[in-house]
Amino acid sequence: MSSALEVNVSTGEANPYTPSVAADPIPFYSALRTHCPVATMEGMQGAGVYIISRYEDVRWALKHPEIFSSDLVAVDIGQDRPLIPLQIDPPEHAKYRRVIDPTLGPHEMAPLEDEIRLRVNEVIDQFVADGQVDAHAQFSVPLPGKVFLQMTGLPLDDLDLLLNWKDEIIRPGGGLLPPEEATPRRRAAGADLYGYFADVLKDRAENPGTDLLSRFFGTEVDGREMSNDEMLDICYLFILGGLDTVTSTLDCSLAYLAQNPEYRAALVQDPSRIPAAVEELLRFHTPVMQILRVIKEPTELHGVKMNTGDTVLLMLGAADTDPSEFGETAEEYCIDREVNRHLAFGGGPHRCLGSHLARLELRVALEEWHRRIPDYRITEGFELAYSPGIREVEKLPLEFMPLKLNSGV
Amino acid sequence: MSRMRILLDLDACTGHGRCYSLAPKVFGSDDLGHCELLLAEPPEELRESARRAVATCPEGALTIQETA
Ligand code: HEM
Ligand code: SF4
Repeated sequence: MSSALEVNVSTGEANPYTPSVAADPIPFYSALRTHCPVATMEGMQGAGVYIISRYEDVRWALKHPEIFSSDLVAVDIGQDRPLIPLQIDPPEHAKYRRVIDPTLGPHEMAPLEDEIRLRVNEVIDQFVADGQVDAHAQFSVPLPGKVFLQMTGLPLDDLDLLLNWKDEIIRPGGGLLPPEEATPRRRAAGADLYGYFADVLKDRAENPGTDLLSRFFGTEVDGREMSNDEMLDICYLFILGGLDTVTSTLDCSLAYLAQNPEYRAALVQDPSRIPAAVEELLRFHTPVMQILRVIKEPTELHGVKMNTGDTVLLMLGAADTDPSEFGETAEEYCIDREVNRHLAFGGGPHRCLGSHLARLELRVALEEWHRRIPDYRITEGFELAYSPGIREVEKLPLEFMPLKLNSGV
Repeated sequence: MSRMRILLDLDACTGHGRCYSLAPKVFGSDDLGHCELLLAEPPEELRESARRAVATCPEGALTIQETA
């Protein structure tokens, strides 16, 4: 069934939160952009929930936080306070970005490359001799977690604990529970995650190291020292923002390359094409399909009035496949796209704070994977199931020629 | 010889880092990952990569002035 059917052209209603959209969103995006550039969330007529999809419109909204605010504390992700900096508006927002950006900036990330390469190879070592793998559970999930634990100096044994809390917060019970069941589970996991980092920060205050978290101590926000709560809020967001997103990008990328041997072969033959491929994979799959904003000043777009307090979904995936920006190949994967101004990391002041880390992880992961496992395919007959919102797959069974365990680094 | 001059609008730059990845000889970055112009008037051999980098900035923070 085409995902375009999730857009009701006559009523202007649409619903992105369905498995058919997540599996193949391109027809859905196209129907949105063409027929209802400001759509209403299905079944929520009158509730003021809109979907914006054209590249120029999404970009405009991202650049106007005074209209499209991120002050979204009402979105319950188990948090006690607004997440820093995700749910803070300018000008307050910049004060935090000024101190957090350098910790994940390009100058900090470059020296991590060798360590990340080691982590990638350790993960691949676990299954390379088997000739088959669930690349979701055994590669895409553990990799960003291990890198994060290494950067924060936390014990690797805590990985399962953290992943479990993250999943309980983002998609309790697999994401299909009614709110009255989901909310208490989110809050319980949220409380555990805060508690965990409260202990870690206490320890780092007493025994500072050179890790990411120790660096927060003594940093100044607005002429005063950053408070313990603020550090906690940042840690909370690192877990929620930095793990699932990389996992889903790796899932989408490997699944796509497994099904398109010619693109894969190009990367195997010439690994210098991988950085551009990472950008095109990010654009074409836009794993974070949409982000949320709340209207702070009444505004009008394509004849639709949006009022203070209304909610807006900025459909990044639809923007990233818009022919008005990306030309006639917008809805295709294009191996040598010349200009790629994709918005997979958002844009404007809230541009993904982890994008330099994410790009490094993705590049090194694809380099090492294709060096060691150049030829692979999805197990015959297996149907991939993508989750809406953040497009990861439940399971990604791949088959390949089993290799000797020899990471060669 | 024709001249090419690059202009950076620092208020618009939010640190996507596309420019300094695509044309590392022309653009650098500060600690926040925001753009720093290394060569505002790049020589002939760097102009192709500079043009591409300018066109790729998602924030439209970079522009080019060409004079004959
Ligand atoms: C491929 C992987 C990733 C993708 C696709 C991605 C995507 C995004 C997007 C679309 C936003 C904008 C949210 C908004 O404007 O509402 C964002 C923000 C953010 N991301 Fe990422 N992200 C990724 C990896 C990471 C990593 C590895 C981290 C690091 C720990 C991270 C940390 C953050 C933070 C802290 C913000 C909030 C920035 C702010 O509001 O100022 N992300 N990300
Ligand atoms: S690509 Fe644009 S936004 Fe990004 S660092 Fe360069 S100038 Fe700034």
